[in-house]
Amino acid sequence: MQLKKRKNGQVLKSLGLVTANLFMATHGMAQAIDDIANELGTTSLDTALLFYQESGDRVRAIEPVSSLKITGENGNVLYARVTYDSLTGATPNGAAPWTGTQTFTTPAPPPDEDMSVTSASGRKTYVTIPGTGTRVAQYTAAANELPLDAGFKDTRYALDLGYSSLWDTDTTTSFGLSGSKEKDFTSYSLNAAISQALFDKNTTLGLGLNLEFDTSDPQYGIPTPMTEMNGLLKGPSDSKTVTSINAGITQVMNRIWLFQLNYNIGWSNGYQTDPYKIVSLVNPVTGAPVKYLYESRPDSRVRQSVYMGNKIALGSTVADISLRYYHDDWGINSITAEVSDRIPISDRLFIEPEARYYTQDAADFFNYYLLNGSTKPEFASADGRLAKFNALTLGVKLGYSFTPDSEVYLVAEDYKQKGDAKVAGAPGALANETFFSGVHAASLMMGFKYRF
Amino acid sequence: MKMTKSLLAVISLTVLLSGCSGVGVKPWERDIMATKAMQLNTQPNITAFHDHNYFSKEGSSGGRTFDGGGCGCN
Repeated sequence: MQLKKRKNGQVLKSLGLVTANLFMATHGMAQAIDDIANELGTTSLDTALLFYQESGDRVRAIEPVSSLKITGENGNVLYARVTYDSLTGATPNGAAPWTGTQTFTTPAPPPDEDMSVTSASGRKTYVTIPGTGTRVAQYTAAANELPLDAGFKDTRYALDLGYSSLWDTDTTTSFGLSGSKEKDFTSYSLNAAISQALFDKNTTLGLGLNLEFDTSDPQYGIPTPMTEMNGLLKGPSDSKTVTSINAGITQVMNRIWLFQLNYNIGWSNGYQTDPYKIVSLVNPVTGAPVKYLYESRPDSRVRQSVYMGNKIALGSTVADISLRYYHDDWGINSITAEVSDRIPISDRLFIEPEARYYTQDAADFFNYYLLNGSTKPEFASADGRLAKFNALTLGVKLGYSFTPDSEVYLVAEDYKQKGDAKVAGAPGALANETFFSGVHAASLMMGFKYRF
Repeated sequence: MKMTKSLLAVISLTVLLSGCSGVGVKPWERDIMATKAMQLNTQPNITAFHDHNYFSKEGSSGGRTFDGGGCGCN
């Protein structure tokens, strides 16, 4: 009887172990299956928050974003993303630094108007020009410092919608709409694309078209390019159109290597000058500022880029390696190289160190200053984004899955631009000034993804 | 134009290569390719952050997808 009891106990114990092993095996299998990117018949919600801060009291951005992706059982996908941007801080106005204090004059809002649009801040003073009654705003730049527009405040709302449908097992078409609104800038775009899978779905060819319409409507109007900076109200808003084509191929090279090659060309026509940027007109001998001119850029721009992306599984890690070559007819050529490696720490946690290197040439019409007395060029800009520089981003991403359908992620990054601080042959005391200070920014992104 | 021709040549070559036996996998060899980590854009929100930030601070745009920006980018 006791023997029977013991036997029964052993049997039950063994059954328990078998059940536990089966459960563990099933659980393990479930983990493996859940790692598969099959989203048929699911809805995904992805919400994130970005904090971005540039050093030296420059731009600060807080950007919440939320996206929804509904994938039908038939593979059709509906996608929506809402973004909100809150921007504050200071940004270089384009003027060259100088050994003395510099004063800049802009239009001022009426005394009773809310001054919350791009340009207003406590660091501006409002004065009335004697004899004219014109009220203007003024801000200053300290000696030997890169002049910064005394601070802007703006918000941006953006909405992206997309729908893709399978025509047959190998052909997908997609359509999208985007809208973005700032206080002084509005953008709408429409896109359509088709992709065709070939050779057992090892090759996918894609072709897309994007049409964009932008309106620039600065608070005090658009200044006439190459005229002297002043406190008078300017002209009406202006616009531009951008037509872009994207052609690409995605190729499964082998079991662990996915390759992507894209060619992108975009034609921009219309107003592309920055209405807030100026260029210093300086004395050709001493380098002292004579006056400040509103910058001027061409009305057309053709951008081209070739992008090569790779996903390579190396053991349990997945490397993402990409290279982009960019060229435009403003004279900017750039190369961007990015690499990251997703390393699993456990079934639930991964870490992904990342690095990005970027280098660009200056635009043909880029100049830190213009010489007084020389022929005024048709186009001129001292915007640092059009200068020759390179930039390095270093970051790390962490992802943790609470369940197979929910994940939190965190990305921390440091971005730093470097360029030639001095200008060779600069006249007089300008030779000692630091022209390129570059952007140095830290950003933190936190997000949560949930699939149901 | 020269760049366009070169690119077309590269695409044609890749398509031709993909018809060869050494490139590509059989349907039953897609286990790794089908995982989340191997998808081209694993974190769309982060990609959008990056595209917007870099478009605002640098002279280039586009590549991974369409260029343009939809922002005044102070």
